Amino acid sequence: MTAEARDHALPVDLRDRVIAAALRARGAGRAEPAAPEISPAEAFRRAAGAFHDTLRELRDDQWRTPTLRGLDVRGLVGHLTGVEEDMQRCLAGDPAVAAAGHVESTQAAADRQAGRPPDQTRVEWRRAADRTIALTRARNPRAEVAVHGMRLPLDLLLVIRAFELWVHENDIRAAVGSPPSAPDASTLTLMTSAAVRLLPLVAARTGLDEPTNVHLVLTGPGGGTWDISLGRTAPAPAAVAIVTDALGFCRLAANRATPASLDAHVTGDPDRAAAVLAAATALALD
Amino acid sequence: MVLPPADGHVTVGRVGGSDALLAARLTAGDDRALGEVFDHFAPAVLGAALRVLGDEAAAQDVVQDVFVELWSRPGRYDPAVGTLHAYLVVLARHRAVDLVRSELRRVARQERSHRLAPGEPSPSPCEEVMAAQAATAVRDALRLLPDSQRVIVELAYFGGLTCREAAKAAGIPEGTAKSRLRLALAKLETMLDRELLESP
Repeated sequence: MTAEARDHALPVDLRDRVIAAALRARGAGRAEPAAPEISPAEAFRRAAGAFHDTLRELRDDQWRTPTLRGLDVRGLVGHLTGVEEDMQRCLAGDPAVAAAGHVESTQAAADRQAGRPPDQTRVEWRRAADRTIALTRARNPRAEVAVHGMRLPLDLLLVIRAFELWVHENDIRAAVGSPPSAPDASTLTLMTSAAVRLLPLVAARTGLDEPTNVHLVLTGPGGGTWDISLGRTAPAPAAVAIVTDALGFCRLAANRATPASLDAHVTGDPDRAAAVLAAATALALD
Repeated sequence: MVLPPADGHVTVGRVGGSDALLAARLTAGDDRALGEVFDHFAPAVLGAALRVLGDEAAAQDVVQDVFVELWSRPGRYDPAVGTLHAYLVVLARHRAVDLVRSELRRVARQERSHRLAPGEPSPSPCEEVMAAQAATAVRDALRLLPDSQRVIVELAYFGGLTCREAAKAAGIPEGTAKSRLRLALAKLETMLDRELLESP
């Protein structure tokens, strides 16, 4: 404590007065400066644009680089073409796509890329993504849709799809040795908000049943602060605070990072915090 | 989106609570960080404001201004430039000096209006208290003025004389008194600036 501090003890009510005035000037939770707001459809359009830019930078031989699940770049792009085709069936009200498996349903689209020139694969995906964008324009963003075992509002699905495109864009970039990319702050804000919104549902699925109040602070572009209740309702839930970078949290939620690799500042019960981060990994937003 | 089984046995990495982390938390809208910053730095901020103003209530207003500013515009603090402690203390001094300056201007305006309308009512007790606070803050700086200027300021501000009366008391023409008063006020502002910049 400084000499100034010793000389001037604080009046008892000053803290409450100052914090109340500060919170009147700017509410808690929202990043400052706030990223410009965009719609989920715009986030999807931007993610598709970034994905396409990455594809255009690839040399022909890089399209044969292995990525994940036994797919090379070409196969992974084909998988995403299949996802767009399922999205379009979903938007057309095809009930068969509601319960279809995300990987199984798109495997044929991945397989048909074998032997094709890269440009054909790229153009086919781009046209499919553009078709999805055009179809969603006329739709009510709050209307529920069902695809690949999920039933959720269209706006949330579009953010998850933006998440998916960003994750696979970076799968490709990692495979060919390019540096990772980050979404712009507006898109990232929607992505972090979607991940936080889904966290209680996934936490329940991963067995995080103990009542836990989480104070989650995501720093950097796309960040914010959330207070989330997980597990059963109880009069005195355990409390944990987790502070970590928004982009790192999105990688965690995409199952592209592990809690152990996350640069996180944790207070409260470390085991409970670890369970929360494990639940975030289980979001698997890829 | 394939959901793999969750790993329930995860080790969580830890980082320290540096100024950079506090700044990042404030930017993210973490109100708990605001409380932590207040608890840690408010005594020093209050002390800095008190050293300039010499008045507890006015210094507390400065403390409120400083933390509202930090919370409203956290991006203005750059951890690469200096510590959060230094940023807040300098901000407090700036705000306190601004208060003194605005009070000096108010007194000067009052002086002018007295000359133009001598029948106006006297300042309220509250105004007199505020004027006294400002006077306390500039007394040290006054000692550094040339005698000719210091005398006229003392007569006008601490003696409560109008410019004409101060000129008469000092035995100089009113125009000279006005000119010395103007020069003295300009120097006082400069001195307060220098004091601010040279303060630790």
